[in-house]
Amino acid sequence: MSYLDLTLADLHQALVAKKVTPLQLADEALKRAKDNKENAFERFMESETFAIASALKEPEVNNPFWGIPFVIKDNFSTKGIETTGSSNILNGYVPSFDATVVAKLLAAHAVPIAKSTLDELAMGGSGTTGHKGPTFNPFDPKHERMIGGSSCGSAVSVSANIVPFALGSDTGDSVRKPASFSGLVGFKPTWGRISRYGLFPFAPSLDHVGYFTRSVEDAAIALAIIAGPDIEDATSSHKPVEDYTRLLKKDIKGLKIAVISEVIDSIHNKIVIAAFDQTLAALKKQGAIVSYVSLDKQMLGTIFPTYLTLCCAESTSNNANLDGIKFGPRYEGKTYQEVMQKARTAGFSELIKRRFVIGSFALMRENQDVLFLRAQKNRRKIVDAVNAVLKDHDVIYLPAAPGIAPKFSESGDRLSDTYLIADNHLVLGNFAGLPSITIPIGFEDKMPFGSNVMGRAFEEALVLQVAEKIENATGYRNLSVKAVNL
Amino acid sequence: MKEINKNVLKDASSRLLFDMTEDQYDVLEKEFAILIKQMDLIGQIQGVDDFEPMTFPFDVTTDLLRDDIPSEPLQREVALQNAKDIVDGQIKLPKVVG
Repeated sequence: MSYLDLTLADLHQALVAKKVTPLQLADEALKRAKDNKENAFERFMESETFAIASALKEPEVNNPFWGIPFVIKDNFSTKGIETTGSSNILNGYVPSFDATVVAKLLAAHAVPIAKSTLDELAMGGSGTTGHKGPTFNPFDPKHERMIGGSSCGSAVSVSANIVPFALGSDTGDSVRKPASFSGLVGFKPTWGRISRYGLFPFAPSLDHVGYFTRSVEDAAIALAIIAGPDIEDATSSHKPVEDYTRLLKKDIKGLKIAVISEVIDSIHNKIVIAAFDQTLAALKKQGAIVSYVSLDKQMLGTIFPTYLTLCCAESTSNNANLDGIKFGPRYEGKTYQEVMQKARTAGFSELIKRRFVIGSFALMRENQDVLFLRAQKNRRKIVDAVNAVLKDHDVIYLPAAPGIAPKFSESGDRLSDTYLIADNHLVLGNFAGLPSITIPIGFEDKMPFGSNVMGRAFEEALVLQVAEKIENATGYRNLSVKAVNL
Repeated sequence: MKEINKNVLKDASSRLLFDMTEDQYDVLEKEFAILIKQMDLIGQIQGVDDFEPMTFPFDVTTDLLRDDIPSEPLQREVALQNAKDIVDGQIKLPKVVG
C-alpha cells in the first residue's frame, strides 16, 4: 500500500503522524503522473512541487491540506506556469497571477504537481478535444472508453490514485459527469460559493469551480478551505463559510428526497436503475422520505438546447480576447484583423469554431429573440420548476448519467429522451446554481457509474450529508482503479 | 429566424474572425440540421415567452468597498510578458490609420 492510495483525510493523519513526508508524497505523485498512460497532463510542475514540498517540515494538525499533493485543471491561472486551457491559441501563455482557488490551496500548504488536460477551453464533454488529443478512462485498459469532460485529466489524476484531490470546472456537468464515469466523488457547490477569479471564463452565468475526491468526507473538508468571498470576483458570495462536515454523521430521518420520474423513465439501462433503486432503499431504511415527483417532460427535453444556446452565445463573447496579439502565437498580417484571423483560424480546433458559430448564430439580430432570449426565458421556467420541487423536498436524487462511460466510437440519437434528458439533466444544477454532487453507486462491465444529489442554494452540508449515506450504503469510499483491481 | 446555409455560416465565422475549411462547413451545416430541431423544442414550450430572461442563477449583491490599501500595480514588463511583438514598451500592431 502507498500513502497516495489513502483518502485526503487519512493521508492527513499519516502526515501528522510523520509516517510520510510531503516531499516523499510529492515525489511519488510525480512518478505516478509521469508513468500514467491516459494522457492526463498538460505539464508537470516539478520544480515548484519540490520547492514547496521540501519547505514543509512541521505538520499542521488542524490544516487538512498541509503537504497534500494536488492537480490543477489547465484552465486555472497559475503564476509563472504556462496555462493553455488545452488550446493552441494559448500556447506559451504564462499568467502573471494565481487563480484565487489555487492561491488558497497554496496558502494551505497543499503541493501542486501538475496541470491537467481538458476539452479545449472547457467546451466539451468527451475529453477528446484538447490540443494534446483524447484523454482515456483508466478503468478501461483498452482505451476504448472516454472518461468524459471537460475536466478529464483531473478525473484521471484522482481515480488513478496520483493525487487525492484535483481541481476542475463545471459549466454543464464537466466535473460531475466524469466523476460518474470514473467512480469518483465530483462536487460542484453553489454558484458563488467558490471564487472564479483566474478561471478562464467559458459561460459565466453557468461556470462553477468544482473538484474531485475519493470520499464525501474529503469533499466536505476541501470546501471549507477553498470557499469564501473574494474581492476579485463580484459574483462570489459573502455568506459565511461553514464546517461542511458537521452533518456527515447525522442521521437522515425525516429528510425529504425527490426523484424526478421523467429522468428515471428516460434511462433504459437496467443495471443503473437497479443500483439506483438499491441506494433509494438504503436511504428509506435510514428514515428518509422518498417521493417520485413529475416535471413537464417536454420542458425537460429542452434542457440541452437551452444549455447549448446559452453557453455558446456566452462563450462567443468571452473568448473574443483570444486574438493572438496580447498573448498566444503571433502571426503576420497587413491589418490587425488579419493578424487575429490567422491566429484564431490556426489556434482554435474545429469543434470550438463550431460552438462559436452556434453562439454567433444565436446572437444574430434576426435570431436573438427566438434563440438566445427564448433560451434565457426557458432557463427561468426550468429553474422555477426545480426550485418548486426543492421547496417541498430537501434534495433531488437521480442517476448521474444513463450508463457507463461511452466508447469513443459510440454516437447516440441526439433527439432521444435518453440524450436530451438522462444525459443532460445535471445541467439543472448549473441553470439554478445549486450544489450538486456525484458519488459512485455501481459497475457494469467493470466500468463505474454514479448518482447525483442536488440541494438548495448554499445548503452544501445537507447535500454532503445525504451523499455520505449513499457512500456508506454502497461501500464505495476511496474507490479507484487500483482498489477495484486488488 | 435566419435560414441556415453555408453563406450564413461563413458570415458568422467571418464576424468571429476565423475561417474554416469547406469540409468543416459541411459538417457544421449537418450539425445545424439537428440543432435547429433541438432549438425548435424550446419554441414549442407553452408560455415560455411569458418568463423573464434569466441571466444569472440568482442575484449576488455585493456593495462592499474594499479597504483603501496602497499596492503595487501590475508592472509593465509583466503585463507585456506574453505579447510577442513589442516596441518601446508597447505591443506593436499593423498600422490602423492612414
